[in-house]
Amino acid sequence: MTRSGGIAVLAVLAAQVAAADALRIGDRELGEYLSSECVTCHQLSGRYDGIPSIVGWPPDSFIAILTDYREKRRENPVMRSIAVKFTDEEIAALAAYFGSMAPTTGSLAPKTD
Amino acid sequence: MTELTRRRFTAGALAATGILAAPAVARGKGKPRLVVIGGGPAGATVAKYVAKDSQGAIDVTMVEPLASFTTCFHSNLFLGGFKGWEQITHPYKLASYGVTHVRQMATGIDRDKREVTLADGTKLAYDRLVVAPGIDLKFDSVPGWSEAAAEVMPHAWKPGPQMQLLKAQLDALEDGATIVMVAPPNPYRCPPGPYERASCMAHVLKAKGHTQSRIVIIDPKDRFSKMAAFQEGWQKHYPGMIEWMDPKMHGGLKSVDPAAMTVTTDLETIKADLVNVIPAQMAGRIAREAGLVNETGYCPIDATNMRSKLDPNIYVLGDAAIAGAMPKSAFAANSQAKVVAMMVRGELAGARTFPARYANTCWSVIETDDTIKVGGRYEAKDGAIAEVEGFVSKPGEDAATRRQTSEENIGWYSGITADIFG
Repeated sequence: MTRSGGIAVLAVLAAQVAAADALRIGDRELGEYLSSECVTCHQLSGRYDGIPSIVGWPPDSFIAILTDYREKRRENPVMRSIAVKFTDEEIAALAAYFGSMAPTTGSLAPKTD
Repeated sequence: MTELTRRRFTAGALAATGILAAPAVARGKGKPRLVVIGGGPAGATVAKYVAKDSQGAIDVTMVEPLASFTTCFHSNLFLGGFKGWEQITHPYKLASYGVTHVRQMATGIDRDKREVTLADGTKLAYDRLVVAPGIDLKFDSVPGWSEAAAEVMPHAWKPGPQMQLLKAQLDALEDGATIVMVAPPNPYRCPPGPYERASCMAHVLKAKGHTQSRIVIIDPKDRFSKMAAFQEGWQKHYPGMIEWMDPKMHGGLKSVDPAAMTVTTDLETIKADLVNVIPAQMAGRIAREAGLVNETGYCPIDATNMRSKLDPNIYVLGDAAIAGAMPKSAFAANSQAKVVAMMVRGELAGARTFPARYANTCWSVIETDDTIKVGGRYEAKDGAIAEVEGFVSKPGEDAATRRQTSEENIGWYSGITADIFG
């Protein structure tokens, strides 16, 4: 009884860890769909023509910046309207997707402004 | 029981048990087939994304006569001398994703047989069809004007020779010239387009040192997109040059006369040196002839996925569709295309689907380093695509903001054209 209860607890813990991982790592498939919206402006190649590259960013920076737009702590109205309806899971998914890619041109450093 | 009958019976029995869920199986032709009519921002984006993401599981054919596409968006920048023709012209590079580009005009859709007929008589079978023909112009919506008259009074509202004609006419004007623009009624392609165009015309005249030329806009609407920011910009950069007249002022457009180069309203007859007639618009011919439009002349769609309300095997998107609060813009078409591509992959290849997300931004150039924007986020609500967040450039914004918006506009163009065509 105790033993099977312990297993159940472990299973629950494992499930929670998996869920937390999913949130931290992000659902790449969801990220791929959501990313199609981003690449209208932010080129997948990482090229800069007036709009910053978002390819290859560290996920933590990506999450922080996009969350700032969602919370309207950053100014650009286009990005605010893009981010407005994103859930934390969706932001994590995007961070996972773009973070997993390497730019083929240009710089990958996130801008801080 | 004959072979045919037995086959029918078997198919019927399978269908009854729900086994025939996939249309490809029902048609018995191997890979499911997607046919896309139109290679503009809507059609080319769907073709590319379905081919790219299905990795060969779906047979994708795009029917588009052109080998390369000149964009309507940023064609005003060509008119204003900001960009060359080659900078707004893009060869299709979709073959590398597995898209078969059939360089013909689609002439008909047999919705019962699920076949598209091409100009040479070839028939293409489809499991799902994407109809993205853009707009057609209503040549009879302006009295005195016609398709032939457009060679004298160009519309330049579709990519190609019409825009080159308008630019040649503009560049030939001497100081003291009068330009009349006949603006279109809603709904039409590119809501801020006429007003960006007037700005780009004024930019050319100002750069040539004109002080006496004027641009008169005869508008059937009493307001327009980004109106406050445009009007402020016109006063700032081109004082006295652009005169916008709403119906209360001109009393209604009566007619144009291409031979006399006049435009007559209820108020006056204006003798012009250049007349740009942007007429009323409707969904492209093939959508109308296939019975995909309603009484508005545009195509009703399911707001959750852009599926035609009149045929479950067909998606309509871009300028031909009734997309609720979304404007008829390249950005909107590209956004809708990604929803359609996902839904098609879900239906034909069992891919995961997610709730549709729609977005738009339209940038407009007023003058060098002075660009404005309008846009928003949209989602399906009460059966229509509704705006959930919107923004528009305001009068009085500082120069740095406008300069940044100009850079964004240029960057967006590079991004979206790479996304659509390359």
